[in-house]
Amino acid sequence: MGRYILRRLVQMIPLLLGISIIIFLVIQAAPGGPETVFLGQGRFVDPEIMEKYRQRLGLDQPIYVQYLRWIGAALRGDFGYSYTAARPVSQMILERLPATLELMAVGFVLAAIIALPLGIYSAIRQYSIFDYLGTSFSFLGIAMPVFWFGLILQLIFAVRLGWLPTSGRITVGNTGFGDQVAHLILPAVVLSLRYIAGWSRYMRASFLGVINTDYVRTARSKGLSEQRVALVHALKNAAIPVVSIMALDLAGLFSGAVITETIFAWPGIGRLFIQAMFDRDYPLLMGILMLGSLMVVFFNLIADIIYGILDPRITYD
Amino acid sequence: MIRMKSVQFTLLIALLMLISACAAPATPGDAAESGQTASTESGEKVLRIAYGAEIDTLNALTSQNLTDIEILMVEGLIMSNDQNTYIPILAKEIPTLENGGVVMNDDGSVTMTWNLHEGVKWHDGEEFTSEDVCFTWDFIVSEAGSAVYNQTEYLNIESCEAPDPYTVVFTWKAPYAPYASLFDTILPKHVLEGQDVLTYDAYNRSPLGTGPFKFVEWKTGEYVQVEKNEDYWRGDPYPNIDGIIVQFIPDPNTRVNALKAGEYDFGQILPNQVKEVEDLAGYKVELVNTNAWVHFDLNIASERGAMLFSDQAVRQALFHAIDREAIARDLMEGTVEVADTGITPNSPYHNSDVMKYDFNPEMARQMLEEAGWTDSDGDGILDKDGESFSFTIINRNSRPERVAIAQVIQANLKDIGVEVTFENLENASWIEKWLSKDWEAVVSGWIIPADPSLTSLYACDASNNFTGFCSDELDAAMEASDMVLEFSDRKPLVDEVQAILAEEAWSLPLHYLVNPFVLREDFQNFKGSGTNLGSYWNSYEWDFGQ
Repeated sequence: MGRYILRRLVQMIPLLLGISIIIFLVIQAAPGGPETVFLGQGRFVDPEIMEKYRQRLGLDQPIYVQYLRWIGAALRGDFGYSYTAARPVSQMILERLPATLELMAVGFVLAAIIALPLGIYSAIRQYSIFDYLGTSFSFLGIAMPVFWFGLILQLIFAVRLGWLPTSGRITVGNTGFGDQVAHLILPAVVLSLRYIAGWSRYMRASFLGVINTDYVRTARSKGLSEQRVALVHALKNAAIPVVSIMALDLAGLFSGAVITETIFAWPGIGRLFIQAMFDRDYPLLMGILMLGSLMVVFFNLIADIIYGILDPRITYD
Repeated sequence: MIRMKSVQFTLLIALLMLISACAAPATPGDAAESGQTASTESGEKVLRIAYGAEIDTLNALTSQNLTDIEILMVEGLIMSNDQNTYIPILAKEIPTLENGGVVMNDDGSVTMTWNLHEGVKWHDGEEFTSEDVCFTWDFIVSEAGSAVYNQTEYLNIESCEAPDPYTVVFTWKAPYAPYASLFDTILPKHVLEGQDVLTYDAYNRSPLGTGPFKFVEWKTGEYVQVEKNEDYWRGDPYPNIDGIIVQFIPDPNTRVNALKAGEYDFGQILPNQVKEVEDLAGYKVELVNTNAWVHFDLNIASERGAMLFSDQAVRQALFHAIDREAIARDLMEGTVEVADTGITPNSPYHNSDVMKYDFNPEMARQMLEEAGWTDSDGDGILDKDGESFSFTIINRNSRPERVAIAQVIQANLKDIGVEVTFENLENASWIEKWLSKDWEAVVSGWIIPADPSLTSLYACDASNNFTGFCSDELDAAMEASDMVLEFSDRKPLVDEVQAILAEEAWSLPLHYLVNPFVLREDFQNFKGSGTNLGSYWNSYEWDFGQ
């Protein structure tokens, strides 16, 4: 197992290098460069200034030169300066990371607490009213546009009822824990919805697959209580695919949620990313996308490891 | 089954809660009183602003965003006000030929002397002097100054001298009419000297100015907070309020919800959201006319455009066929004013006596017929020499309101037998196409400063003239108007520029854009300005409460 993990870690290096080349090319292939941001603002500029601007940013160089410069610096831990904010990319990402992790983690835990029992119960009571309700809820959750759901929640809980704030992370000047929690509720609920919808469906399907197998029937025939059969014998096996899907979703923890963060004015990485995209802020985009890629690759490994722990039949060598 | 029931019960409760929430009557007044608004109760007047997307930097010179937040803290020699006029801030007055501040030299150069206010202090207590002004100019014309979007304007200045702490002398290579629009920001020399200004976070993320408010905190992605400058040079009682919190809320719908929930005192919204907040208790809405106007441009730089639009009478006919009143009234919900020239009515340079294109499809049809365009093959589309009168408007998806305008134009022109098709493009692709000049028509928009120069938009070799149109007469008028330094001399020339532009009919002004602001009802002295420097120029006068 140790050697397997080591090998996988070593394999990550060429993989990430390849990813960085592809991302670098794709970003720059998009039409318009950072100088079009000037034009996007609706004020007029001199082509001479635009050219000087490109030179200062090194954008007048051939693309492979730009990439080699970037990767050379990145390997030494220097991810460059953002074009628009003129600040170190790594610093900008680190500043945003706590808010993103906070929101994603709460949304994640909330989703897990709701989705897993929902899926299990739907499976146990297959075709009951509860199952139908759960199924409808899941499809609604998958189909409902996030921005719409977020705005509706704001209208109900902030505008009409006045119970929760519409947006932001804190009320300025209020350092209370309660204020922070109040700000977290709506975005976390919106964020958790798509996970609840997805995971509960996986949980239900996976549980249904297990519950009719021979060993579960054996457990039942031994006279074990239905509860014990479900939660001990069936659950462990049913959890394998669900856990690996959840582990993969964990990678998203670090890249944030673009729409949710924008709707709720949450100061996370998702919002930083979308702004960097509009601004064609190449170094910042590279930084965020490489962090995202690293996390996906890393959590893939984690998923594989968990798989092995949960299912002894799977071995690595 | 007992557990089952309890689950159903919970769901039922949740459902009931949702229904009751939806059915609850709107009580914005309650929300406003729930204590989330400005903390007047603690005796401090702190204004909470619901702002748009986060800005890039607080260095007003290198920022690519509107610099209104910076203006709360940082001042310059001048500022543009709500009358579209430049007013002196750190300078005692704007130098002119009349007051002797501007002297024309025999070699064609111009010497300009600015007298500065004495006793103005930076927020750290250091005195503001002429050295700071020259330091600012040095930075702008340096290599790093290419980050300043109008660097070329400053390059017209040959030298900056500081004979004494309160006098600055610029030498200009030639007379430059918009001279009073420069130096809206002054950098503190004692903080920035020897630093790489572009990346110096100690200034760019916490600027030091001479303005009515001092920087307190910039919480990334959340807010910028400023507090009253007790030593403000205008003296008591300015500024009237104790602090401002500018919260970044990128989504416009969230911004409106936050205002409705009473979380903010002040916020900018979109024109199509005005109806939603018009009757909001505790708030008022102010519509600020801007220096931005939306226009319908024809292009003869493209082959098909040249074939269709080279005849002035044809262009004028098309403009008479477009119902601009209907666009302003129905599409823009009556919040905007129809435009006949790019310079707004609230600028002293506005010319109301230009050719106007009243909606008159009958006349348009007649004019096209006289120009040789008739429907000879009976397919409903005009034709001439075997070519049918049809062209394409390029639209950008990120501007749905302009796509809607293009649709009205399409319908209007169809009525006179002209066929319009669309090419819809993503933002950056649209810009690329637009710059390539390979298109026939577009609905677009410009914003100009309080200075009325249109040269960079319409001169034959102007960097922003993408339409292929060119007039020697217009060029001469614009060049002349950019060289005179007195309003009384310049006004007739700018009038002429506007008159020629209207008659040439390259571009049909549709309407001026409006920025709606939502303010708490007792907010005083909001004087919204539609220039590129924004509406926070008189924040020292702002007040609310008792």
